[in-house]
Amino acid sequence: MDAQNTVKKPQITKETKNKIRVDFERTPLKERLKAKFGTSYIYQKVFLSIFRLVLLIGLSYIVIYPFISKIASSFMGMSDFVDATVRLIPKDFTLNIYKAVFIELDYWKAFVNVFTLSFLSAILQTFSCCVIAYGFAKFKFKGNGILFMLVMLTMIIPHPTLKLSMLQNFKDFDILGIFGLLTKLGILPDSFAYGLRLTNSYWPLVILSACGLAFKNGLYIFMLRQFFRGVPDELEESAYIDGSGVFRTFFTIIIPLSVPMLITVFLFAFSWQWTDNYYIPLFFPSGRIWDWSDVIREIPISLETDYAGANLFQQAIHNTAGMMAIAPLIVVYLFCQKFLVQGIERSGIVG
Amino acid sequence: MTNNAAVKAPKKRRRAASLDKKKARAGWLFVLPFAIGFLIVYLPILWDSLRFSFYHVSSQTGGGMVLEWVGLKNYTDALFVNPDFVQTLISGLGQMAFDIPAIVIFSLFMAVLLNTKMKGRAVFRAIFFMPVVLSTGFMAALESNNVLSSYMDSTTGMNDGSGRSASSDIISVLDFEKLFDQMKVGVEIVAVVISMINNIYDIVNRSGVQMLIFLAGLQSISPAIYESCQIDGASGWETFWKVTFPMISPMILVNAVYTIIDSFTAESNQIMKFINSVYELEINGNTISSAMSWMYFILVILIVAAVAAICSAFVFYQRRD
Repeated sequence: MDAQNTVKKPQITKETKNKIRVDFERTPLKERLKAKFGTSYIYQKVFLSIFRLVLLIGLSYIVIYPFISKIASSFMGMSDFVDATVRLIPKDFTLNIYKAVFIELDYWKAFVNVFTLSFLSAILQTFSCCVIAYGFAKFKFKGNGILFMLVMLTMIIPHPTLKLSMLQNFKDFDILGIFGLLTKLGILPDSFAYGLRLTNSYWPLVILSACGLAFKNGLYIFMLRQFFRGVPDELEESAYIDGSGVFRTFFTIIIPLSVPMLITVFLFAFSWQWTDNYYIPLFFPSGRIWDWSDVIREIPISLETDYAGANLFQQAIHNTAGMMAIAPLIVVYLFCQKFLVQGIERSGIVG
Repeated sequence: MTNNAAVKAPKKRRRAASLDKKKARAGWLFVLPFAIGFLIVYLPILWDSLRFSFYHVSSQTGGGMVLEWVGLKNYTDALFVNPDFVQTLISGLGQMAFDIPAIVIFSLFMAVLLNTKMKGRAVFRAIFFMPVVLSTGFMAALESNNVLSSYMDSTTGMNDGSGRSASSDIISVLDFEKLFDQMKVGVEIVAVVISMINNIYDIVNRSGVQMLIFLAGLQSISPAIYESCQIDGASGWETFWKVTFPMISPMILVNAVYTIIDSFTAESNQIMKFINSVYELEINGNTISSAMSWMYFILVILIVAAVAAICSAFVFYQRRD
C-alpha cells in the first residue's frame, strides 16, 4: 500500500496546441540497479549466453576450418608441404596453383559450361516442380495419392540402383518401344532400330528436369506442395469468380505469390546441379563437355613433380581446384542465404 | 411442382459434378509432366534395373544389348560369393545406427540454439547452413579421399577436416580415452563416445537441411504458448520438454525419415561406395551391383517404414482433424 502512495502520478502538461508532455518520476538509480543485478536471474542469463556463444563459435569453427585450411594450402609452395613447421600460414607464398588451374585447366571453359547448364536446368526444374506440386496441392483427382507416393519413391531409390539401366535407356532411348516397332514396320530407317541415342547430349538432363525426375526433385515437389497447401483457397476461388481460368490464376496469382519459395528451390537446384558429379559423367561417357570433374581430376603439367611431398602437393592442387569451383557458389550463397531460411520457414513443412 | 423440382435437382447435381470434373482435369494437366515422365522414362529405367539384376548383360557395339537369364545367381553371388558385401552392409548399417540419431538430436539442439534471439544470429545461421549448399557432389567426393588431412594431422596437428580427425585438434581423443578408462566405464561405451567425437565434423556437415526443417517448425509454434508458460512460472527446461518437444515431434518424424533417406542414398556412405566400386569393375556385363543395390534398396524401404511406424506412435499433433 505504501509503495503505491509514494509513486507520483505522471504529470501532463500541454506544450503546444497539438503536443502534450508527460513527465514520469523515475525510480531512483540505486533501486533500479538493485532490481537488475540483485537477483541471480541476470547472472544466469549472462552465463547462458556466454556458454551459447562459445558453443556456437566452436561449432562454426568445425564447419569453416576445412575451408580455411584448403585456402591456406592453396597459397603454399612446394617446399611448404615437407616443412613440418608450416601450419596455416605459408612460408613460400605463391599463386602458382591458381595460375595453373586458371590457364592450363581451362577454368573459364568449365565455369561457362557448368554455369549455363546449372542455370538452365535449375530454371527448368523449378518451373516443372512448381507446376507439378501445384497440381498435387490444390486439386482433388483420382490417383493424386498414388502419384504422390511415386514422387516419394523417386526420392528414396538410391542412385547406383539405376545407374546401369539409366545409361542403357538413354543410350537407346525408346518411348515404350514405338521406335523399334516403327522400324520393324519399315516406316523409320534402320538406324532407329534401338531408338534414339541421347548420350553425349543435354537431352537426358532436359527430359529428367522437365518431368521432375532429376536430382532431388522429389524433395522440391514435396516442399512446394506443402507451401501451396498453405495458400488459402479463397484466393483462387475469388479469381475463378472473377472469370479467370485455372492456368491464368496459376500464372498471374500463384506464381507471383510464391517467388521467395521459388527462389529457395532454384537455389537448391542450382547449387546441387553445380556440384553434381553423378549425372554429367553418366550422360557424357565420352566426356565431351569440360566440367568441374575434369578440372579437379587433372594435374596441371607445369606443376607435375616427383619430390617427397608430391602426393600432398597434388592433393593441395585438387583442393584448390575444388575451392575455385565452388567459389562462385559461395558468393551466390552469401547473397541468397536469407531466402534459403525464409523459404523453408514459409514452406511450412510443418504440415 | 414436384415434377419441376425433380427435373431441377439432377441438373444442379450434374453441374456441380462437372465443376469437380473440370478441376480434376486441371489437376491432371498440372501433374501430367510427372505422370508422363514417370511412365515413359522412369518406369522403364526402374524395370530394366530390376530385370538386369536377374540377367547377364553385355552391350553391343551397334546399340542394344544381349541379355542372358541367370536367375537368382547375381543375388546369391552377392550374398555368398562376394567376400565383402555382407560385411560392408552390416558395418555400414551399424555406423548409420549411430549417425542418424546423432544427426537428429544435434540438429534439434542447434535449431533451438539458432532460434534464440541474440547478436550475430544471421552470421551463425549462414555458417551452419553452408554445408547444405556446398558439401555435396564433388566436394563430398573430394573430402572423402583427402590425403592432405591425414598428413597434416599426423605431423603438424593440422588437419583438413576430412571427417575422421577434425575434432582431434580441438579435443584430443587420446585424453578422452584415458579419462574414460580411469572412470571405469565399459570399453564399448568408450568406443561409441570416441567414434561420435571423431564423427562430429561429418554430423555437423550432414545436418544442415534438418536444422532448416526444425527451425521452420520452431518458428511455427505460437509465442502465446511460451508466454503463458512463463506466466505460470515454468522454467526453460520444463518449457522445452512440455511444450517445444511435443510441438516439434512431427518434425522429428520428418527429419528422421529424411535423414535415413539422405544418409542411405549419399554417395559418401560406405555401402554406396562399395556398390559403386563393384559397378566400376563390371566390364564383362556382370550385374551383381544391380542385385546388390536392389537388396540394399529393399532394406532401406523396410527401415524407413519401421522407423516411421515407431516414430509416428509418439508424434503429437496439435490439430487432430
